[in-house]
Amino acid sequence: MAKILIPTALRQFTEQSDSVEVTGATVRDALDQLTARYPNIKKNLFSDQGKLRSFVNVYVNDEDIRYLDKDATKLEGNETISIVPSVAGGATALAEAAPALSNEEVARYSRHLILPEVGMEGQTKLKQASVAMIGAGGLGAPLGLYLAAAGVGRIGIVDFDVVDASNLQRQVIHGTSDIGRKKLDSAADRMHDINPNIRVDKFDSGLTSENALEILRDYDIVVDGTDNFPTRYLVNDACAILKKPNVYGSIFRFEGQASVFTHQDGPCYRCLYPEPPPPGLVPSCAEGGVLGILPGIIGVIQATEAAKIILGIGATLKGRLLLYDALGMRFRELKLRRNPDCPVCGDHPTITKLIDYQEFCGIRPLNAQPVATEAAIDALELKRKLDSGDNFLLIDVREPYEYQIARIPGARLIPLGELPKRLRELDPNAEIIAQCKSGARSQKAVDLMKQHGFKNVRNMIGGITAWSDKVDPSVPKY
Amino acid sequence: MIEIAIEPWETMVRHAEKIYPNECCGAMLGRLDDGSKLVTEAVPMENAYVGQQAERYELRPEDLLEADRQARARGLDLIGIFHSHPDCDAYFSATDLKNSCPWYSFVVLSIQNGKFNHANSFLPDLDQTSAEREELKWPKF
Repeated sequence: MAKILIPTALRQFTEQSDSVEVTGATVRDALDQLTARYPNIKKNLFSDQGKLRSFVNVYVNDEDIRYLDKDATKLEGNETISIVPSVAGGATALAEAAPALSNEEVARYSRHLILPEVGMEGQTKLKQASVAMIGAGGLGAPLGLYLAAAGVGRIGIVDFDVVDASNLQRQVIHGTSDIGRKKLDSAADRMHDINPNIRVDKFDSGLTSENALEILRDYDIVVDGTDNFPTRYLVNDACAILKKPNVYGSIFRFEGQASVFTHQDGPCYRCLYPEPPPPGLVPSCAEGGVLGILPGIIGVIQATEAAKIILGIGATLKGRLLLYDALGMRFRELKLRRNPDCPVCGDHPTITKLIDYQEFCGIRPLNAQPVATEAAIDALELKRKLDSGDNFLLIDVREPYEYQIARIPGARLIPLGELPKRLRELDPNAEIIAQCKSGARSQKAVDLMKQHGFKNVRNMIGGITAWSDKVDPSVPKY
Repeated sequence: MIEIAIEPWETMVRHAEKIYPNECCGAMLGRLDDGSKLVTEAVPMENAYVGQQAERYELRPEDLLEADRQARARGLDLIGIFHSHPDCDAYFSATDLKNSCPWYSFVVLSIQNGKFNHANSFLPDLDQTSAEREELKWPKF
């Protein structure tokens, strides 16, 4: 005998029995026996057409019969059958008017429509969905292309940058003719060309603690394609506060990571990395380089996760950190747990509004001393000094492979990592100017030398990039 | 009439304020006597709606199944469902009605600026075309 558990409200029809024993080979037989014995219960479970009402789910033990053989699901005779309503709702009926797909869209999405996991219902979900992309760079490029192609109805892009020649090796949403254009415009044009049915919202600014909640509030899912720690923590915290899934990806040289944070009961980025690394320890792509194809893989993984969350299918990367190694061509996976003591997503969060993320990441310390201007020199002044034959030493603290790409005449190469043990090659009383690609590493070199008693050391502002811009355009920028 | 005891009421309000600005949801367990209901326990549940949770909620049937099981095991009944309307009155919306189930009381809590404001209870009909207001009593402080 199988047993049907009767919900409280229906016991008035079963003479107050809370369970009814039935026989029968299938779920349908069992339900027919129930309604034959207690006819008044029938209209609660079945519509006039004899179909199970929309709010009725039937479970055999722990399984929803929709995922078994529906009402033809076979019974052995010892099962517990539960009648469980599906309940949902919401303050507004905005999402009610599901937009129908046009004939053009049906043709366009036909390979989706014939997938049972997507179908008309899923494609309509994609059309109604909204995704915010933070950044239209390496990760944002494949992401924007595929989300547009997949028919995600509204895509917001937050980016303040312009297309540079050095972007084109990986940011495939932009083309050579877009150099100098805003990435927002270039990306939106390309996305509309792929799919004119979508809407692209452009936010021409950086994401900040002031605007993040306002911007992200309007989207279902946030996809983080940023390349720096302050914005990554900002996106994480904003998503935790707004309770929105944050599809994370990051890339470095030949390695990438992806996960889904703040989704349902899953962990957040802070559960994985409670503290940012010290500034400068992890180089950015601009400093460390990146294989151009790498963001393609990671960005497409992010797009896949966003689509799965919208469609409600498959298993997302929630609670898993996916690691990708392009050189070894290997994927690995780490299990992540939500930290109950996490300051943003834990049981007793202490961070409930957005903070200053530059300061949190140590980039703008609380009592930052202004850099003494006499400790810096710009490209034009350096040029004059070189031309006038002044007696000073110009050291280039970049890596040897960067030195091979471009150099300032007369510069001596001492990579920053080697500098501490090579200080004794240098005269602490000599006039020294340090230079790198854009001025950050050389500032560290200056600080280091000053700590070691060097009297007259200066940093070259803007590095070799500024040299190329202001002094010698024949020196390539990279 | 549905009456909510102080403990479950505090659980519901705390949950709704915590989940704000999104909609929260959960189940109410208790006893049914001659058509009057007493809620003695509230079970907060995860909002499973995929999308804008600020204006939608969805309960997982599995969670309701589990709540019903626990209620039975302790001699209680699953008698109602609660959810919140952030920055919005506690009315029964068209979306609420269309996705309702006539077997339960539906308590809606209005949360304004993160704080509880007022609440109502509704009894939807079988065809999900209308919902009747039900008298709701909650502990007043």
